[in-house]
Amino acid sequence: MVDVQEKLKAIGPYREEPDDDMLICRCEEVTKGEIRQAVHAGMFTMEEIRRYLRTGMGLCQGQTCGKLVKGIVARELKVSPLDIEPATSRVPMRPTEMKILARDGGACDE
Amino acid sequence: MERYDLIVIGAGPAGLSAAIEAAKNGARAAVFDENERPGGQLFKQIHKFFGSKEHKAKIRGFKIGNDLLKEAGEWGVKVVLNATVIGLYPEKEITVRIGEKILHYKGDSVLIATGASENMVTFEGWTKPGVIGAGAAQTMMNLHHIKPGNKVLMLGSGNVGLVVSYQLMQAGCKVVAVVDAAPRIGGYGVHAAKLARCGVPFYLSHTIVRAAGTEAVEGVTIAQVDESFRFVPETEKTFEVDTVCVAVGLSPMSQLLKQAGCRMKDTPGGLIPDCDEYGATSVPGIFAAGDVAGIEEASSAMIEGRISGAMIAGYLGYLEEKAAHTRVEELEKALESLRKGMFAPENRGKFMKKTEEGIDTSVSLLEHGFLADNEVEKYPGVIRKAGTHPVIECTQNIPCNPCQDACPKGCISIGSNITSLPVVDGTAECIGCGMCVASCSGQAIFLVEEKCEDGYGTVTLPYEFLPLPAAGQKGIALGRDGTRICEAEVVKVRSAQAFDHTSLLTMKVPSDMVMKARFFKAV
Amino acid sequence: MERIQTHPILGDTPEGKQVTFTYDGKILQGIEGEPIAAALRVAGVMTHRYTKKRHEPRGVFCAIGRCTDCVMVVDGKPNVRTCITPLKEGMVVKTQYGASEKEGEV
Repeated sequence: MVDVQEKLKAIGPYREEPDDDMLICRCEEVTKGEIRQAVHAGMFTMEEIRRYLRTGMGLCQGQTCGKLVKGIVARELKVSPLDIEPATSRVPMRPTEMKILARDGGACDE
Repeated sequence: MERYDLIVIGAGPAGLSAAIEAAKNGARAAVFDENERPGGQLFKQIHKFFGSKEHKAKIRGFKIGNDLLKEAGEWGVKVVLNATVIGLYPEKEITVRIGEKILHYKGDSVLIATGASENMVTFEGWTKPGVIGAGAAQTMMNLHHIKPGNKVLMLGSGNVGLVVSYQLMQAGCKVVAVVDAAPRIGGYGVHAAKLARCGVPFYLSHTIVRAAGTEAVEGVTIAQVDESFRFVPETEKTFEVDTVCVAVGLSPMSQLLKQAGCRMKDTPGGLIPDCDEYGATSVPGIFAAGDVAGIEEASSAMIEGRISGAMIAGYLGYLEEKAAHTRVEELEKALESLRKGMFAPENRGKFMKKTEEGIDTSVSLLEHGFLADNEVEKYPGVIRKAGTHPVIECTQNIPCNPCQDACPKGCISIGSNITSLPVVDGTAECIGCGMCVASCSGQAIFLVEEKCEDGYGTVTLPYEFLPLPAAGQKGIALGRDGTRICEAEVVKVRSAQAFDHTSLLTMKVPSDMVMKARFFKAV
Repeated sequence: MERIQTHPILGDTPEGKQVTFTYDGKILQGIEGEPIAAALRVAGVMTHRYTKKRHEPRGVFCAIGRCTDCVMVVDGKPNVRTCITPLKEGMVVKTQYGASEKEGEV
């Protein structure tokens, strides 16, 4: 388990950067600054960032921003992107309307 | 719920190949793909592939796609399109969205061949309409027959960036520059050289500062970067473009494998399944092949698919273990030869100072996209002699050898090591047939005749643009760097079925220009 | 952007059936079965939607149905990926604002 308080102390306070306004998640319109601030709020894994900011939770399901978000979180935590815990993968893999999911009759639908 | 011996997810080169291989041995295979058309990215690949015969070298990607589909049909592989697999479970059950329904299928084995998605980089204005992925450009021009833009800047000098830039020019777009933050061109030198001689400038150690425009892209500004990829002040350069194309690598689309509980490995190239050499994941009966298991070329994806397909046939009991291994061994040899040379997976990103032959690599090629005139003659494909003869400007060790089979007179040899540089034998008689010129997927072979008439010689070059110049047409000859070097006149243009849409343009230039003139531009 | 009439490798572009559709009320032509986005690009339409938060223009980005940046309101249905949705005669295509066809609604 990561000691969040210790880690936060180690990475120091959030400091504004000139490109903080850069959009990273195109679908949910989340900026680099928001992601950096989320890290300083204790969100260290892709799953936490996703739930906190909705990055990768939009229509495209993180197809475009996944790697970018990971890079930003890693840089902020001063670790390699390989050390960032990847997000969980769950059904449905592609955006699917609720009414269609609701019609899923399970294995015996035919 | 329907059951299959093998369920394949993704009807691209890897998935189709696996399904065919398993079906050949008697397995009932179904391939699901979310797209409207099968073939994955193959139908957007209009260039000739590299490799040797067994890798379908010198055949254009879309033709390989057609052949695969035909073969799949012949073996009774069921290909289900517009079918989005939204879930994969360890029990090898999948949920698929087809139309307004979610359907369940069960496989005794499942192969994931979902391919890759494009990486992106951010810069000011990167969300503006007009900034597109390289794949989008290929889709628009090669599938839907529309120009993605009129003036395009390409970010990324890997093979995708280089190949797509060339295809943009073939579609009639102007490519204003190829830009890469890396200090050296990432893709094959021959792909870069095709662009450079047409006058496309390369900006290495540069990246995009911003894409500007009120509604859509109207211009793009690039600047030099230092070793830490920080902008160097006062190096900005602005281009008027309507399109910025981004080709900065691919990442495996491996989420389904993770969902099914396969053990995963996080690598700098993305999250990939932890597979054995046959593509078997940690979940028995679930396999992965192609880009989803690690980014490579379509040629290797097809062989990987075949390997997994044979192993699956063995796993299902359709093929005896020994027979499966014999087949796999043969395929592995083909795969190994593709993974050799300067661009082999273990050499990715490395600066190779010398060729396998011990010749210095061309720094000019790596930094500017063209061989310097004074270094060309270092390479074994370049000789000078009286009469017509091939000049092969192939200077990097890549697994490719169609040129040696193309020459009916034995002028060209590569030998058994597929990555060796081609050697031109000056004693063999060249009949000027041009088969070698058309066979070279890298368009790096020219026929040169130093003296055909008083003070003049000829250069025959591969030409894949429209309009096709005609004999008698006057214009200018461009050097390897794309600058004008002299006046030129077209003396002959040959097109033949055997050349497969590569025309052979012969131009007359002053004798002292035959080793420099590498492109013809009508004026 | 123009259509490619003839291509050095792919040859002549096959002729398709012309269909008429509307884009924000304007009457446009396209080829039946081609992606809506292709017909729009030929007509010079680059902006497909404006985003919800920052009201910024977006258009085709991936062209294969992954990035969902090209979504529009088609025949009254929002979030339709125009890069992979085949064009049909009489389609009503509208710029999408946020998740709806009118600015201010979400």
